Amino acid sequence: MRVLLVEDYRPLQESLTKGLREAGFAVDTTGDGKEGLWYATSNDYDVIILDLMLPGMDGLNLLSTMRAKGRQNHVLILTAKDTVQDRINGLNLGADDYLVKPFAFEELLARVRALLRRSYREKNPQIKIGDLQIDLTTQRVWLDQQELQLTSREYALLEYLGIRAGQTVSRTDIWEHLYEFDSSASSNVVDVYIGYLRRKIERPDKPPLIRTVRGRGYILGAQP
Amino acid sequence: MTHSLRTRLLVGIVSGMILLLTVFSILIYTLTHRALVNQFDASLLSTARMLAASVEQDNEEVDLESSVQEMPEFQKAEHPTYYQLWNDDSTVVARSPSLGTNDLPRFEGSLNIPVFQAFNMNPGRPGRAVGFKFKPRMADNEGTNRQPPAKARELTLVVARDADDLQDNLEFLRWLLLIASSGTITLSFLVAAFVVRQGLSPLNSLATEIAAIKENNLTARVATEPMPTEILPIKERLNDLLSRLEASFNRERRFTSDVAHELRTPLAGMRSTIEVTLTQIRKLGEYQTALSDCLAIAVSMQTMVNNLLTLARIDSNQLTFRKDKIQLAELVNSCWRPFSHKANARNITFENRLPAGLCLNSDPDSFSIALSNLLDNAAEYTNQGGQIWIEAHQTNDHIEIAVANTGCELTDDQVSHVFDCFWRGDSSRTDTGTHCGLGLALVQRIVQALGGSTTVEVQHGRIFTIRLVMPI
Repeated sequence: MRVLLVEDYRPLQESLTKGLREAGFAVDTTGDGKEGLWYATSNDYDVIILDLMLPGMDGLNLLSTMRAKGRQNHVLILTAKDTVQDRINGLNLGADDYLVKPFAFEELLARVRALLRRSYREKNPQIKIGDLQIDLTTQRVWLDQQELQLTSREYALLEYLGIRAGQTVSRTDIWEHLYEFDSSASSNVVDVYIGYLRRKIERPDKPPLIRTVRGRGYILGAQP
Repeated sequence: MTHSLRTRLLVGIVSGMILLLTVFSILIYTLTHRALVNQFDASLLSTARMLAASVEQDNEEVDLESSVQEMPEFQKAEHPTYYQLWNDDSTVVARSPSLGTNDLPRFEGSLNIPVFQAFNMNPGRPGRAVGFKFKPRMADNEGTNRQPPAKARELTLVVARDADDLQDNLEFLRWLLLIASSGTITLSFLVAAFVVRQGLSPLNSLATEIAAIKENNLTARVATEPMPTEILPIKERLNDLLSRLEASFNRERRFTSDVAHELRTPLAGMRSTIEVTLTQIRKLGEYQTALSDCLAIAVSMQTMVNNLLTLARIDSNQLTFRKDKIQLAELVNSCWRPFSHKANARNITFENRLPAGLCLNSDPDSFSIALSNLLDNAAEYTNQGGQIWIEAHQTNDHIEIAVANTGCELTDDQVSHVFDCFWRGDSSRTDTGTHCGLGLALVQRIVQALGGSTTVEVQHGRIFTIRLVMPI
């Protein structure tokens, strides 16, 4: 899942980026409002984490400009302003959630994941596809009641395919939602990770879970 | 002295009433007393004149007409009239039957001039008496006795009468006045109490209105209409005071919320750094990086808290300043030292143009805090490869110190805010948290507390100068 973090206080920016990446997110980061707007309007982020007091352009301005351009991405506002009026202003301008500094990192993660589930209209944090079970909250995966050990990249790929289970997911979609803007990975890295994932979640005696749709992408789910 | 307005008004009104009524009662009593006595005396005198007219001298013989003597007035037992008539040789010519064998006191004025006296016939029975001398009428005995007429004698007549009625009337008057006065005083007390209560009721309603103003809602104002003109000024002053208080509380609230904001952001950074670091077991180097990040945050928060405390202490006059001789050039060098590394890293040159030996008499601790903040600000906002310089000149009674730096991008409007707490020209120039916009505010407060003043200007569009004018 791909997240944009717009926060100008460097210690917070650095630690959040690190924490989110370790939690399996692809994170683009900027500390400037105008740059943040450019990022937000040129990529399809699953969640945008937005500070309000920013150099260049303040967060509320960024949010309303972005919404005016038709961007429907989920936005979580992160700010030290805590009055009810501040929250109302933020939510009225189209924010989806509001978190007051200082906050627990776990809470930020939980809220970001809740917004992600809303992005994909998935209220249930448990996804089941045949014998495969994904817990979106704890990021654990089971196959036939056996827990699988996945790397964070593999998990992120499986989670994205799982959230869009039954749909054809293109390589570009995967690339856009799992890889950061300045990622140096080449595009065939998607195919490589699909290979890793297949080895871990498929059994020779069962039909394949990930199917390749030639020229279009992949589908997670048993053969209909 | 009582502090209740109502009691003071009541006491004033009622004691005024008592005084006036007493004076009027005494006046009325005195005048009535005099009138009644005069009337009594006049009646007594007319009886006495009638008696005197009934006295006849026949040669040497003096006689009172018997018909007069027999008048019931002089006979009756109850409240009779008394008279006694003396010859000029002090023999008693006649006395009223009512006197029995008693004598009236003998007194007289000059001829035909009556003298009045109080008199007690019996104990407890006050009366009044009139006495005068007169010459009796000569008997007309033509033809019978042709003797030369005798010389008229000078007789003394005293007529007295019990004044019970007079005394009763006067006593009645006394009681009447006493009762009427007490009644009036009691009634006036009640009326005054009512009027005072009514009159002071706007004060009560004012008190109720004021009591309704809560400390957490200073936007409330006291209604000024309808209002007696005497209380209107109080209400207006009160509303003025409330407005000033509200403005001051709002400033305070904004300041507190700014402080909270400025402390929350670094706290969030520190908490997030620690929490993310603790999510998994890490290499030693990562812990070291996290710890040094947290240390940097802690140090900047400490600086901010110190600045806030200094500001608060200046504002509440808790700081005491001593006066010492400050060698300005030396102080500038020592204040610059902590920032020289940061400036060198960005190729900024610093020039201390202060003449050696220039001295200022001021508080060294506070003044060096102000100077450090000025230099810190300059080092932070000067452009890459720019310049900072400090110069000073002395006049008769003050020293003007100017700290200037290149690379200023502030507009005139922005420049007017540089001394405001928590104001930053553009936070893109620096990290949130490390410079929270207190430095120049602190400089201004310190300089003002030391008796000086600060001004700021931007020259040629790019040179930012802050001038301190300090008393020597």
